[in-house]
Amino acid sequence: MSARGRLVLVLVLLAGCASGAAGGRAAVSSRPTREVLPNGVVLIAQEHRASDVVALQLWMRVGGRDETADELGLSHYLEHMLFKGTPTRPPGSIDALIEGLGGTSNAFTSQDYTHFDVVLPAQHMRAGIELLADIAVNASFEQRELDAERKVVFEEMRLTEDNPDRFMVRRLYEVGYAPHPYGRPLLGTEQLIGALTRDRLNAYYKKFYVPGDMVLVAVGAVKSADVRDAVVATFGRLSGSPPPRPPSASPPTLAGGRRDDIRRSEQQAYLGLGWRTAATNEPDVYAVDLLTYILGDSPSSRLSQRLRDQDRLVFAIEAAYGAWERAGLTTVVARLDPANLARAEATILEVIQRVKAEGVTEAERQRAIITAESNYAFDIETAEGLAKTYGQAETTWTLDDEIAYLSRLRKITAAQIQAVARKYFADDNYARVRFLPPASR
Amino acid sequence: MRRSIRSTAAVVIAILVAAMIGRAAPAIATEDVTRERLDNGVTVLVRENPLAPVVAVALLVRMGTRWERAENAGISNFVHAVMVKGTARRSGADLAEAVAGLGGKLIASGEVDYSGIQASALARFWRELLGLTAEVALTPKLEPADVDGERDWLLSRIQRQRDNPVARTLDELYAAAYGFHPYGLPTLGTPESLKRIDHAAIVAWYRQFYRPERIVLAVSGQVRSADVVAEARKLFGGLPRGGELAEPRNGTPASGARRLVIEQPAQQAQIAAGGLAPALADADHAAVKVLATVLGGGMAGRLFSELRDKEALAYTANAFYEPVREPGLLVLYLGTAPQNVARAEPALRREIERVRTQPVSADELRRAQGFLLGNYSMDRRTNARQAWYLAFYEIEGVGDDFPERYRAAVQAVTAADLMRVAQRYLGAPTIVILRPPAGR
Repeated sequence: MSARGRLVLVLVLLAGCASGAAGGRAAVSSRPTREVLPNGVVLIAQEHRASDVVALQLWMRVGGRDETADELGLSHYLEHMLFKGTPTRPPGSIDALIEGLGGTSNAFTSQDYTHFDVVLPAQHMRAGIELLADIAVNASFEQRELDAERKVVFEEMRLTEDNPDRFMVRRLYEVGYAPHPYGRPLLGTEQLIGALTRDRLNAYYKKFYVPGDMVLVAVGAVKSADVRDAVVATFGRLSGSPPPRPPSASPPTLAGGRRDDIRRSEQQAYLGLGWRTAATNEPDVYAVDLLTYILGDSPSSRLSQRLRDQDRLVFAIEAAYGAWERAGLTTVVARLDPANLARAEATILEVIQRVKAEGVTEAERQRAIITAESNYAFDIETAEGLAKTYGQAETTWTLDDEIAYLSRLRKITAAQIQAVARKYFADDNYARVRFLPPASR
Repeated sequence: MRRSIRSTAAVVIAILVAAMIGRAAPAIATEDVTRERLDNGVTVLVRENPLAPVVAVALLVRMGTRWERAENAGISNFVHAVMVKGTARRSGADLAEAVAGLGGKLIASGEVDYSGIQASALARFWRELLGLTAEVALTPKLEPADVDGERDWLLSRIQRQRDNPVARTLDELYAAAYGFHPYGLPTLGTPESLKRIDHAAIVAWYRQFYRPERIVLAVSGQVRSADVVAEARKLFGGLPRGGELAEPRNGTPASGARRLVIEQPAQQAQIAAGGLAPALADADHAAVKVLATVLGGGMAGRLFSELRDKEALAYTANAFYEPVREPGLLVLYLGTAPQNVARAEPALRREIERVRTQPVSADELRRAQGFLLGNYSMDRRTNARQAWYLAFYEIEGVGDDFPERYRAAVQAVTAADLMRVAQRYLGAPTIVILRPPAGR
């Protein structure tokens, strides 16, 4: 999921340089095409000849935030069930088909969207689109498969708990957003999943998996016109009611702060802090993104230099910005000796306080912009990387914003970065989660 | 996430075994690689790839756990952790800033058969990136204070690795399966070994291995080969020859059907089975790769489809085999609920028995071959992986044409080959089970 992913940048200007130094093949066409089919399905396509594969991604505008209190975990459960089979594709055959063609598949769920993707040799593009269109509306949810998957989801819950890094991010988002839907568990609860019936899952599927909620992204060694033909013949024929997504309110503020301490079996402690910052549709996203880079993106960033290298208070520290449709959260997560917890927290606040008081340097601003540019350049090395930036933009933002992102980022001044630090970060408006070892003092 | 743990396990394995000969892309089919051996013995490999405005560098040195012993386990990795803390010209902080200013990343680590530096940046900064890589490799400061500071950090990483049930299980499996062979040592070392390694040992180890004859520099990206070779000659050509080192004499590991149960608090239990398997250059390599894929490659692999999808006995279910110079390990791995262990372990043994006694169907064989080669191509698409593969194959001495020979060998594997290698390498697997203490 994208919780930790900062806004992924897409800069089409850069693509123009792609045939630069070594000369030769034009690798990446300048921009994607976007079309809304009459039934509401959005098609985004781009020819990208970095390799002979095509990335096909189905993005559904449904996620954890659309669930009612007694539907928790259903978006994620569907993510598990869709590759299980349809009336014409028996259980197991979908995985065997994709893998036999030399392809891979994956899927994930976030609060804002659910995502299914396959990467295939480009000549199998049509088979891949037919498959995605089939599972988008015809998943069969055989009782046997449904019951077996229940145990798998329970395992996934345990697995997340056993991984402190992953569990910290999850807990931090839950504490930072509760009671808003963004703060609820994406996997659901053992009780709800244990009692889940086929009818209930199917009703949820029929309600949300409608053409108006579907975005199909195709990027790879394929002609956009061929993609369009295949999509019109498959997704274009789907029918369904209009999408039901209700307007979702913004989460409450973190004024006064929130605290959660958890005892765990690990010997090391974890400290996670989260501040509410800008949502994807707010103009502050650019400055917050740069601020996050400057605070904690790399070994040269302020938090790492001060807490890891200079004061030796932490073993590792990182800042990340999760910009979602209705809200954003900037998080700082550190792994450390439990004896240093209080000092580390105070020092993080001090580092932020210093940005608020004195601002950032021009060199830092430029490094942050180059980092952003570089992240984009590495994203477009693969078809699926580029497709992901488009799908995520279309479902939580807009494609145009995504395309203009880097040029807007370049215009942000050091003063604007300081201003967002002052606007969003205070000593008493953050969520704090700590993992404490069994014998902690 | 559908199979999140797969990547977790893979990362752990990358640390342990160093070689990820995983996945794949047919696209950059014409493999135009410029090869240059400098007069002092440094090997330079460059692949021009105009497709994205980025560049990646892999500088690998023949140094790693293969040369280590229990007393100094982890020293290769330790040396590299200290190397990035500063050079003759700049402090660690200045170095980090310089790398960030290129839109770059630079990491250094020790692995099994090699150690070294992997770096990447925007292509327009390729010259600066190469310069920083050379600076870290050839003129590291190796200060006593940094040795102490990095030891603490490495000890914290060892603790974290021990706290992680999956990583711990695989560490224990490698140790049990390899016995006295250094492939059983963790690349991070142990708390005991790290405490024993002092500043003098770090400097001596660095000097012993950083000789031009042992260095391979690979570059892939939007660059011109001639420019890169010229720059590499300028940066590395002046290094005096150091002479060859003798190959390490490691005994042949012999594991025999050990079964280990470890208790550690966790929500999930782990079951791993490992059989000693051939080295990368062995004629059986391709057949064992296909066998690993039949058993646990992807979601149509047997462990996933039988034990997870049909019986729901596990969440994670996979198999892998990433061999290097000396014998590899074929690993079958399950992550499951503690109450499932009693049923999952026999189920895993049944799958091993089945593949040893019954031929794999033509469909299954085809699926495994397609998946294996498809993934191999996909993994070779990014410049970072391209640079790494070039340097890695050079370090392992398997030849420039290895990718083509490997593809052909995978396609030639038959069902009879699979049964033969299963009988040979999975006859007496070592099993490690990690589970929470009873009563939880």
